[in-house]
Amino acid sequence: MLIEDDTARRVIQAALSRGADYADIFAEHREGYNLRLEEAKIEENTTGSEIGAGIRVIMGESVAYAYTNDLSEDSLLETARVAASAVRGGEKAPINLEQKWNMLPVLGEHPIEINLEDFAREDKIALLQKADEAARSAGNEVVQVIAALGDSRQQIFLANSLDEIVLDNRVRVRMVVQVVAAREGEVQIGYEAPGALGGYEMFKRFPPEKLGHDAAAMAITMLDARPAPSGPMAVVIGNGTGGVLFHEACGHSLEADAIHKHASVFEGKIGRKVANSIVSAYDDATLKNRWGSFNYDDEGVRAQRTPLIEEGMLHNFINDLKRSKRDQVAPSGNGRRQSYRHVAIPRMTNTFIAAGEAKPHEIIADTPLGIYAKKLGGGEVNPVTGDFIFSIVEGYMIRQGKMAEPVKGATLVGNGPRVLQDIDAIADDIDFDTGMCGKDGQSVPVCTGQPTLRVRELVVGGTAEVV
Amino acid sequence: MAAEYNLQDLARNWVERGRSMAGAGTQLEIFIQEHRGLTVTAYNEEIEGLRYSHNRGVGIRAISEGRLGYAYCTSLDWSDVSRAIEEASANARYSTPDEHNILPGYSDYAQAGLDIYDAEARDMPVDRKVEMALQLEGLTCAADSRIAQVESAVYADTISTVGIANSAGVSGSYRSSDCYCYVSPIAKQGDESQSGFSFDQGIKPSNLDLSKVAKDAADRAVCLLGAASTPSARSTLILDTFVAAEFIAILASALSAEAVLKGRSFLAGKVGEKIANEMVTLIDDGLLKGGPSTAPFDDEGVPSQRKELISSGILKGYMHDSYTAARSGTSSTGNAQRGSFRDRPHVGPSNMYLKPGSGGREDILRRVGDGVLILQVVGAHAGANPVNGEISLGALGLKIEGGRPVQPLREITLAGTALEFLRDVVAIGDDLNFMPFAGSLGAPTVAVENVMIAGRG
Repeated sequence: MLIEDDTARRVIQAALSRGADYADIFAEHREGYNLRLEEAKIEENTTGSEIGAGIRVIMGESVAYAYTNDLSEDSLLETARVAASAVRGGEKAPINLEQKWNMLPVLGEHPIEINLEDFAREDKIALLQKADEAARSAGNEVVQVIAALGDSRQQIFLANSLDEIVLDNRVRVRMVVQVVAAREGEVQIGYEAPGALGGYEMFKRFPPEKLGHDAAAMAITMLDARPAPSGPMAVVIGNGTGGVLFHEACGHSLEADAIHKHASVFEGKIGRKVANSIVSAYDDATLKNRWGSFNYDDEGVRAQRTPLIEEGMLHNFINDLKRSKRDQVAPSGNGRRQSYRHVAIPRMTNTFIAAGEAKPHEIIADTPLGIYAKKLGGGEVNPVTGDFIFSIVEGYMIRQGKMAEPVKGATLVGNGPRVLQDIDAIADDIDFDTGMCGKDGQSVPVCTGQPTLRVRELVVGGTAEVV
Repeated sequence: MAAEYNLQDLARNWVERGRSMAGAGTQLEIFIQEHRGLTVTAYNEEIEGLRYSHNRGVGIRAISEGRLGYAYCTSLDWSDVSRAIEEASANARYSTPDEHNILPGYSDYAQAGLDIYDAEARDMPVDRKVEMALQLEGLTCAADSRIAQVESAVYADTISTVGIANSAGVSGSYRSSDCYCYVSPIAKQGDESQSGFSFDQGIKPSNLDLSKVAKDAADRAVCLLGAASTPSARSTLILDTFVAAEFIAILASALSAEAVLKGRSFLAGKVGEKIANEMVTLIDDGLLKGGPSTAPFDDEGVPSQRKELISSGILKGYMHDSYTAARSGTSSTGNAQRGSFRDRPHVGPSNMYLKPGSGGREDILRRVGDGVLILQVVGAHAGANPVNGEISLGALGLKIEGGRPVQPLREITLAGTALEFLRDVVAIGDDLNFMPFAGSLGAPTVAVENVMIAGRG
């Protein structure tokens, strides 16, 4: 274990020394490897090993956090005492050093087939080279390929003033391939970025050649795109990456810290209808080997499947220990942090709109005129109102119920809560996409997911004529 | 408290031991950093947050036949460091060769008189620092009856120790302390609210003048009450020192040789050309006495130096580290910077500032007569592009007539290019101020003529 039981007891005692509602210590050992290939050259080749522990003291609304890379008992005690100094005039609570720890079961819900150390450096480099070659041979239009690979193993230890000790072990692998294609002054980008909570077996599902080829194909296809039309129209959003829209435009507004800051349209709406009855949405950290999964969250709460919306009704917010206590609800297992250098806050894990019963081709066939947004790119959301703008990085026109020409330069303009009401068809082809979600200066792995679905009407901002 | 250890000796020792492991053909660099930081935030007469960090670690560069590998670890035990050296060497074997990957050689460093450390920053008890944050909030609330609230009042400090050694002969270490405080109050009048901001910094807590910061921040919020937009027109801008320092950030990015080599600088290919008014001299000085980024050497062990990048309006050169210098056939300017031991060095500014001229802000306002004093800009990250030099920013300020403020302004934008701004400078004050957040960038009050200000009305 990263920290001995007795040491943890004395550290928690020091953290509570001026009185506090709660204290915990989170320690981790993380080993990571990062490779980056650009212009067919290895540009980055870095191994990192990091050990550290953070001690948190909560008193009312005040949160103190102190961390160190030095896990000796003296250093941890000093760190705990600094954290405690945020508490002014508190009542010192009696501590029983004889108290036994309640060790929560060590879980292994996410099996690993090929461990990081069993996959040689040259094999890792070969993955990037295969993706690079496949992308370059996809067409003469390919002018630049960047391929990056990262793997990490994170062992965590958590002990808290509720006498719990939690251990978890997280292994993750991710690869990103970005391809730039150009023809006659026109430049387009394609990418693929799969990741998993697991080992190198991920590449059986995502062969690097296919990743390189698909990223290149997307960039090359988009070279033929015509300027997108503008105006309100039906929008069919493709499975997988389309989930980013729900994540950004609704998910963040469902996080309890946004609710408590009165910065969310969903405040006070639990038990109320917020979406069309065909819409159900979940945050689920238990999905096997998904990039955003884990056994326990970073506050030691067991991973769970949290219904956010079921049949249009709002059920739960995404919370952490502090916020669940304030709301007097059960913790949802969403207290997450980037590392021991950060305080846990409410974060999404794998967030998705659940599958419906329609077939994707039926939805297209039932759409006389509209846009098929196969891949969404970056967006901006006003968290207070839910207003958003997203770019479509791969999109096609739908004409007379059939897929037609690719379109470029399109944006989707709308409002998150409004979209939830306007989803009028959901297919059965749920898929997931991986990403890094940034908030308050912290970045954590997440999946966004959804089946193919249709929004009755969204404003498409294009550069061509109004439809 | 952990025992004090000598990071320079440690680094040198590890280079020697590492070399015998990695083989004589491999060049090694050991960079050790230890960093203690405290940030206390007061809100509503309570401590809203306290953050303490103790960061330490070792970064290892291994270069073999131009192939570069990197590794880092947070442990200072030889068993872990030696493993990291093995990892860095193995990574190097699998990297693409680039002959410009080199390590700098031995140099003598200036140590005396840099004025970068005071033990008071370390020895003052945390409770006293907590009181300083609370005191700053209290003083700000009391500074003016129109201050309705203080968004945050912060005391912060960091104490850093750096040790470096490499197989080409570099060996050095230093210790520095940096303390600062800042406050952002909100002034209210009727339905209108305006925010202000001010800060102070020094090498020890007692350098910080809390009363002055509180009053300045309150004044900056209150003076904007009653703000309105103004019709679009060309006007002379007087950039407050905080705002002028944000403009220096655009130059800092464009003057990096790394940006120039990657085709990401609007100043590429302009060395020797007149790019600014003769009044403009831009200095990067890693040896500036008491400067926030002052150190005897940069993050790869090249001695810090003072150089004029723009001299009386002429572009003299770019900032280099050893890699960009080798690629450009010149020498390093001592501008290798790292975010932390986790990162390889990249080019960045040390203390970069616009050389002061004469007269304070009042004097500049009098000289300019009519214009707009810009007190805050909005969207500096999105609206100022260091690649092409285009600038388009939202702003708040005061309309100036006959050298005096006559009307607060809001909902205005200012637009132009960095090169136009440099060319059209008409006055530079003597009130040099360093911004603590964007590295260490400083500027006095600067007046620029003929800038397009867009507004309503």
